[in-house]
Amino acid sequence: MYRYSCMASRAILHVDMDAFYASVEALDDPSLRGKPLIVGGTGPRGVVAAASYEVRKFGVHSAMPMREALRRCPHAICVRPRFERYREVSRVVFDIFHAFTPIVEGLSLDEAFLDVTQSLRAFGPADAIAAQIKQRIREQTGLTASVGVAPNKLVAKIASDLRKPDGLVVVPAEAVTELLDPLSVRKLFGIGNKTALQLERIGIRTLKELRAAPDALLRPIFGRYVALMKARAAGIDDRPVIAEWDEKQISSEETFDTDLTDVRTLHDQLARLADRTASRLRAQGWLAGLVVVKIRRNDFKTYTRQARLQPATQQTRPILSAAGRLLNEWHQEQPHAAVRLLGVAARDLSAVPQLELFASPEQERERELDATIDQIRAKFGHGALYRAAALRRAK
Amino acid sequence: MKFSCERESILGLLQSVIGVVERRQTMPVLANVLVVVKDDQLSLTATDLEVELVAKGTVTVQQPGEITVPGRKLLDIVRALPEGAQLTVTVEGERAIVRSGKSRFTLSTLPAAEFPTIEDIRAQQTLTISQAALKRLLDKTHFSMAQQDVRYYLNGMLLESNGKTLRTVATDGHRLAYCEAPMDTPAAELQQVIVPRKGVLELQRLLSGDGSVELMIGTNHIRVQIGHIRFTSKLIDGRFPEYGRVIPTNPPRVVTADKDVLRAALQRAAILSNEKYRGIRLSLKPGVLTVQAHNPEQEEAEEEVDVTFTGEDMEIGFNVNYLLEALAVIDGQEVQLGLTDANNSCLITAPSMPHAKYVVMPMRL
Repeated sequence: MYRYSCMASRAILHVDMDAFYASVEALDDPSLRGKPLIVGGTGPRGVVAAASYEVRKFGVHSAMPMREALRRCPHAICVRPRFERYREVSRVVFDIFHAFTPIVEGLSLDEAFLDVTQSLRAFGPADAIAAQIKQRIREQTGLTASVGVAPNKLVAKIASDLRKPDGLVVVPAEAVTELLDPLSVRKLFGIGNKTALQLERIGIRTLKELRAAPDALLRPIFGRYVALMKARAAGIDDRPVIAEWDEKQISSEETFDTDLTDVRTLHDQLARLADRTASRLRAQGWLAGLVVVKIRRNDFKTYTRQARLQPATQQTRPILSAAGRLLNEWHQEQPHAAVRLLGVAARDLSAVPQLELFASPEQERERELDATIDQIRAKFGHGALYRAAALRRAK
Repeated sequence: MKFSCERESILGLLQSVIGVVERRQTMPVLANVLVVVKDDQLSLTATDLEVELVAKGTVTVQQPGEITVPGRKLLDIVRALPEGAQLTVTVEGERAIVRSGKSRFTLSTLPAAEFPTIEDIRAQQTLTISQAALKRLLDKTHFSMAQQDVRYYLNGMLLESNGKTLRTVATDGHRLAYCEAPMDTPAAELQQVIVPRKGVLELQRLLSGDGSVELMIGTNHIRVQIGHIRFTSKLIDGRFPEYGRVIPTNPPRVVTADKDVLRAALQRAAILSNEKYRGIRLSLKPGVLTVQAHNPEQEEAEEEVDVTFTGEDMEIGFNVNYLLEALAVIDGQEVQLGLTDANNSCLITAPSMPHAKYVVMPMRL
């Protein structure tokens, strides 16, 4: 039955470089090898960008204030980050990925998802591809990476984290539940500290317990995402790996004067950026099929998160709501991060509009509203008019 | 629980329900089928929480009971047994044991009480229609349903009865398919329900025989008994768009063409259309329809099709897939395209099937 054609099993790799910045520093300066090493700013606002495994056992982790890190591990050696050098090494690593599949979704300089489903015929089974990638990274850069191999992104990411550093964890489809069941609910993206505590209060600590919990019990915590979270706890995730083609995009981004930590403020800023991006789409006559949110932490680690827009659109509301969901997902993973830069990009642009059969009254109202806003801005400048969500912060 | 039967009798039942056994189950029990034996009857139930299928057959029951077992594994085992083999299924402790000749399989189980079933759907209305007519209604319209659209009410098919006829309508917002057929017995009132995509595809697969079926419609479910199989699907709670407004009446330009000739020309031109947008240009002149396609590599296709047309010249663009999918379900040799202008939809009809209409919105080229 063709119903199932799209459900064929996938082979997804999550490759995560081990303590990337710190490892690059140790690589370039052999005297640092095996030493407790922290990469980060040393000024009063300095934060840890990366920590070697020798420091991590003292409880030091990235995004921690440098002062706190040095209190925990006073004998650590600090070096300033050299992003140009990290980008250079990252390019070598990503070239290795691209030798095995064109479908590579980079999450940051040192982390990517690879869909190798179509590469199995040419390069052998997924675990062999993972081993070859690790070997080539070691040969060409001298660094180690941890790889998770699984039928989807969710499980691959959890797997790569299980045996760091230099790990390779392969999770066949039939072993997914067995692997996930005993893990803490905190391993699931979308469950941060706050949610985990709420779950613990009702006796749910492991993914197995979450999977088995009655919907009614979870509804107060997850709202309408109960089914989604249960599916994730069962290791179900059909999000595609979205390759970054070298293609046209329309984006708006902003670096903030002071780092932002408040989630509401982040959403207000996001609303402003999404509005600006959508406005540009309309001005240039494009429809976006993909929205990408870019987030840079104060330690300069940069993340991108993307989602499909179906149907493709140029309206502010659907772009903003997709971007908002992506920001939420990221923020739940990193609730304490300080954000230096936010960006909203529209990709997968199509210029040939398929005309619509039904313009729903709400859609029509949205379209008219967007058009009116655009007209006013054309006359009085972009700052003349903002959505109320973006204004809250200005007060 | 213990029962015996011939391989073929349980194989048929398993194959009828296996389509809804989840591969990527959110709850482990959904990978199982519910097995109930009593009164010389075996009943197998599978569900994905949206669609439920129950198949019943006769077996020799030694001890009544109920249990759930992994559906696909049981099917694979039964299918691989030799033809005509006798098999016995027993439950011992927490295991189900399948024995046949010198083979023995021990399967894991989950309690029947954990299996979600849909019992009473509180039917408020029953529509009776021949199986063949219902299958035709689904076959002629299903391809236009949306998939994973944010407008969730489009990810399914509208069933609508006006008392005498049953209509099916499917649309993804770019094109629409409409078909109607008379019902066996008149129904009381006007009723609209939206059956989710999964339910439509499963129902379509089950309809094959002669005779009539009853569509029982409750507030939240639709249920159809087809031979020994009971199909139940949730309904989509939403408002289907007013489709009547977007079906053109009397378009000013009517083009009559040989369906197979037009279809073949479109298929050839499609090869060189842009892979993403699938856009083609139709140029209409008296007696001739020209189909043109080109792609980003600057490759071009041009086809001329002889047609019956006497009106004013015009040009219009379409996603060629939408035209091809409509032409694929049209019966008979002749097809008519009703056009207004480059910004309005095309109505596709055929004299041999007056009860079906297809509407495709153009692309701006």
